[in-house]
Amino acid sequence: MATAENLAEKPALRHPQKPFYFNTSEHLVRIGRQRAGNLCELLTALQTVPDDSIFQHTFRTLQEHHFIRQGFSNDFAHWSLFACNEPALAEQFASVDVREFTAIEGLRRRMVEILDEFLQSHNMSGSRAAHEPFYFCASDIVVLPTAFTADTLKAFLNGLNQVSVHSIHHHFIEARLRLHCMSNDFSQWLQAEVGLAEPADAIERIDIYANTMEGVRRQIARIVSQAMN
Amino acid sequence: MSSDDSRAISASPTFDTQAPTEAAGLEAERRSPHPARRVSDRRSNRPLPPSVLTPPAPPPPPHLDDYGAIVGQSQLDTLRYLAKDLKGKTIKMVNSTAVGGGVAEMLNRLVPLLSELEVPTHWDVITGGNDFFEITKAFHNALHGAPYELTQSAKHIFLMYNEQNRKRMHFGEDMVVIHDPQPAAIVLARSQTPAHWVWRCHIDLSNPNAGVWEFLSPFVEQYDAAIFSSQSFTRRLPIPQYLFYPCIDPLSEKNKELPDSQVQQICDEFGIDRSRPIVTQVSRFDRLKDPVGVVQAYKLAKKYVDCQLVLAGGGASDDPEGAAVLQEVKEAAGNDSDIIILDLPPWCAIEINAIQRASTIIVQKSLKEGFGLTVTEALWKGKPTIASAVGGIPNQIMHKLTGVLVHSVEGCAFQMRYLLTHPEFARGIGTSGREHVKENFLMTTNVKRWLLLYRILEQTKGRRPRAA
Repeated sequence: MATAENLAEKPALRHPQKPFYFNTSEHLVRIGRQRAGNLCELLTALQTVPDDSIFQHTFRTLQEHHFIRQGFSNDFAHWSLFACNEPALAEQFASVDVREFTAIEGLRRRMVEILDEFLQSHNMSGSRAAHEPFYFCASDIVVLPTAFTADTLKAFLNGLNQVSVHSIHHHFIEARLRLHCMSNDFSQWLQAEVGLAEPADAIERIDIYANTMEGVRRQIARIVSQAMN
Repeated sequence: MSSDDSRAISASPTFDTQAPTEAAGLEAERRSPHPARRVSDRRSNRPLPPSVLTPPAPPPPPHLDDYGAIVGQSQLDTLRYLAKDLKGKTIKMVNSTAVGGGVAEMLNRLVPLLSELEVPTHWDVITGGNDFFEITKAFHNALHGAPYELTQSAKHIFLMYNEQNRKRMHFGEDMVVIHDPQPAAIVLARSQTPAHWVWRCHIDLSNPNAGVWEFLSPFVEQYDAAIFSSQSFTRRLPIPQYLFYPCIDPLSEKNKELPDSQVQQICDEFGIDRSRPIVTQVSRFDRLKDPVGVVQAYKLAKKYVDCQLVLAGGGASDDPEGAAVLQEVKEAAGNDSDIIILDLPPWCAIEINAIQRASTIIVQKSLKEGFGLTVTEALWKGKPTIASAVGGIPNQIMHKLTGVLVHSVEGCAFQMRYLLTHPEFARGIGTSGREHVKENFLMTTNVKRWLLLYRILEQTKGRRPRAA
């Protein structure tokens, strides 16, 4: 797969030298030992749980709830609203876009910062028992190939339309943790291998929080189709 | 063995039992005879439809490709990729009953699907005398928090039958999965085999009787991993714990698509008017399912919106408490001719399916619940669902996203009114609920989890701590 460094050198709309391999990731949820019964305990846990737990409740939960168009962002926002009845905190958690982070540590810091600030201004809220505890989990991940490989734009579009939404999540959302840059596998390949810089940018700007993952797939397909014509 | 047990066993493993699917009721259901019973249709007392009086012949089990139209080819491809590396590896499942209840129902489908993926899977059922099953029934209740005094004699009987089964069975497979507490001590055989040993716990261990748990936990700690149906059902253990949601089979009689003509015919037989809104709860007549609370909520809602209430379940003919609850429900219903109470035999899967499909709203107003597979069934049918926030239900219903959660009769009544008068919102949560089930609670996802677990245990072999 192409790297970010050679993007600018690629001429427009050329035959890709490297095919795009559609992969997918499957997850098995591991139940962790930590749980939080109130917001103070959540803060402590957020600071100490392993990275894969933060991943589970942000990136991974988005995949699990890919069919919800609006109103779901991450497990911390959901729990703050429905178990702690703290809509303002829930809104702040929900406003965190996981795609702004290329490493879990930054995402963890942001969540801690939000909760810490909230508890400083709402000191009665911290120790109030939640309606139900927050159970920290994590995922064991297995990356698998799919039946689809694309060495043309047409084949790319076909693969895009055929793979599971888990594959879309793998390439479009989780990819930034792998690439450690603010992009995704689709945009990287389209720009580096086919020279489609503008469509690549347009794909990167798709709002994942106002779309289902099927909606994201359709938007990517539309952008690629327009570029082909 | 009851006459009904004989019927069901003769059809195993392809018998598509449609007994209530909560693991919490497994033992009771395994032991309860189901004589052909009277269907109580409170509204009309019409002659019973002959079709429901005797169990139908079981349909053949589906093949993997049959699920393609439901979950998509890409999901089947994923299963095949996952299974490819495990080709020839073998799995043994051990539980305490071949028929009746959720675990046997699930294994009836899971075992052939894994074998079709060339991961040969064997299913063994432990044997034991009445003394053993009386003790394990008491353990079951105690693990749910009931008071129980564990005696030396009970421990001895439990261990003796586990030892007998251990000697009777062979453990040449690559992964051995022991379901629930009854055979948990079979793990002592693990020293004879290099297999991965997994304990699949289908019950809620969040508040167990301390004596019983102290007795069982040393066995549980000898497994390589434990699996629970909800995060909230777990205990602190020194072994990895995984989350496997219970699942439904979308091709079973209770969940498969039905032609509208069949839905109409069944509604006609039971006197359900499809031209008016239908609110339904499907549950055994059990106080923990709060059928009287559902009647009260319906009556509050009925002041504002026209609707019928269908309470469809069983348990009143073979269980004295069930009969008492049914009587309470009838008294609560009074003379309201829009309340239809159906005491159905456990094989009425198609009838339950049709009633759920005909419903405008489905309710599960339980006071206590296991995972709540009747909720899963409702969501799978795309029905706007109102359910209590108990047990595993919050795993399925995300409030206002995949259904609505309630905590009281009044809350339930309000949501009935709201959903009946806001069909677009109701349709939206129904659609999301079905997607939630498709993603997390179908048989194919269950198959995937077992394949993933095997791969993960294989990858981490040698790195896992082992209890002394």
